[in-house]
Amino acid sequence: MSADGDTGMSGRHQHALRLAGLTRRFGRRWALRGIDLEVSRGTVLAVLGANGTGKTTLLRILGTLLRPTAGRAEVLGANVTKHPDRVRRLTAMMTPRGYAYDELTGLENLRFAARMGGGAGDASAHRTALARVGLEEAGDLPVRAYSTGMRRRLELARLGLRSPDLVLLDEPFASLDEAGVELVQESIARWRDAGATVLIASHRLAQAGRHANRTVYIEHGRIVEGGPVAGTTHP
Amino acid sequence: MSELARRASAILWKDLVTELRTRQGFSAMLSFAALVLFLFSFAIGPDTELLRRLAGGLLWVAIVFTGTLSLGRAFQSEEVAGGVRLLRLYPDDTRAIYLGKLAANLVLLAVLELVLWPAAAILFQVDLLPHALGLSLVAALGTFGFSTIGTFFSALTVHLRARELLLPLLLFPALIPVILGAVNATDGLLLGDPMGRLGGWVRLLGAYDVILFVVCLWIFPVVLEE
Repeated sequence: MSADGDTGMSGRHQHALRLAGLTRRFGRRWALRGIDLEVSRGTVLAVLGANGTGKTTLLRILGTLLRPTAGRAEVLGANVTKHPDRVRRLTAMMTPRGYAYDELTGLENLRFAARMGGGAGDASAHRTALARVGLEEAGDLPVRAYSTGMRRRLELARLGLRSPDLVLLDEPFASLDEAGVELVQESIARWRDAGATVLIASHRLAQAGRHANRTVYIEHGRIVEGGPVAGTTHP
Repeated sequence: MSELARRASAILWKDLVTELRTRQGFSAMLSFAALVLFLFSFAIGPDTELLRRLAGGLLWVAIVFTGTLSLGRAFQSEEVAGGVRLLRLYPDDTRAIYLGKLAANLVLLAVLELVLWPAAAILFQVDLLPHALGLSLVAALGTFGFSTIGTFFSALTVHLRARELLLPLLLFPALIPVILGAVNATDGLLLGDPMGRLGGWVRLLGAYDVILFVVCLWIFPVVLEE
C-alpha cells in the first residue's frame, strides 16, 4: 500500500486507524510527540491519560478539526489532512462541550444535523433518537432550557442518527448521571456490535474500559503503555 | 436539490430561525440604522438640496455601518453552540457553510433595507419610485458585494479577541469598490446622469461582485482551518 493508501474503498482496509509519527504543537507546547498506532477495525479503544496529556488533540486530529504539525494519520485508508471530507463521511465525534444551538429545540437540532448530512432526515427518526436517550419529553423545548447532562444526551442522540465506521468520544461520561453513563455504554456496545471502531478518550479506565478491548495510555503527548484492558496498570 | 444547496439551506434555515426567536440583534440593527440616518439628517440641517445630493452616500454609509454589526454576529452563534469548526464535523463541502451564512446575511440585510430605503427617502426628501427598478438592481448588487466579502471576513475574525475592531478594519478597505459603485450608481439614478456614467458604475459593481464571490468561495475552506 502506498504511503497514503487512499483507495477510497474503506472495506479494503484492515486497519481503522494508522498513525505514524503524529505530532502536534501549539506554539511552544507539544500536545502530541510522535504517536505511532495501528487500530484494527471493530476495536473499542480506550485512550487514557490525565487532563492535558493530548487525548483531545489526538481525537480532534482524527476528526479533522485540527491539522497535525507533522506525521501521518489515516482513517480507513483516508489521510486526514489530504482527504478530510472522506474522513468526515466515515467518522462521528462527540465533543466535551457538546454541539447544539440554544435557540433551536432538541428536535430542530437533530433536524439540522440530519440536513447537514449527519444521518436520517425524517421527524419520526429524530423522535426515536431522542426517546432512546431519554429526551422524548424535552424534544420540543429550546436547548437553552437543557441542563448540561441533557445536552450530552442530545449529543448522543445526534450521533445515533448515523452509522459511522469510526466513533470518536471525547470524555463521553463527563457531566452525566448514572443513567446517562449507562446510555453512553449502551451506545458504545451498539456501535461495537455494528462493527464500528470506537475511540473513548477518558481519564477513567473504570468507565472507558467497560466495553473496550484495548487501551493506550498517553502521558505528555506520548503513548507510554498499550495493550489489552486486563493488563492496564494505570487507573 | 444538490447536497451543497441542501446543506447551505440548512444553515440559512437555522440562522433565520435563531434570529426570529432572539430578535434582539435585528431590532438593535434597525434602531442603529435609523439613528445613523437621523444623525446625518440633523448634522446636515434643513438644506433640502444638499440632503438630496448626499442621499445616496449617506444611505450606503448607514447600510455598511449597520451591516457590519450584523456580520459581526454571523459566526458568533456557532461559537456559542460549540465552535464554528465543529460545523466541519459534518461530511460536507465547507463551502456550504459560506453559502448558507452568506444567504442568511443577505436576507437580514434585505429586510433591513426594505425599511432603510423608504426612511432615507423621507428624511432626505428624494423620490425613489420613478427609479424603483434601477435602484433595486443597485441595492441588490451593492448588498451582495457587501455580504460576500463581509461574510468571509466575519469567519476570518471570529476567533480573534479584537474581532469587533478588526472586522471593520479589514472589511472597509476591501469594500471601497463596492461603495464607490453603489453610491455613484445610486446618485446617477436619483440625481440624473448627464455624463452617462451610470452603466459603467453598475458594470463595475457587478464585475467586482463576481470576482469577490469566486475568490471568497474558493478560499473559504482555508479560513476554517485551525
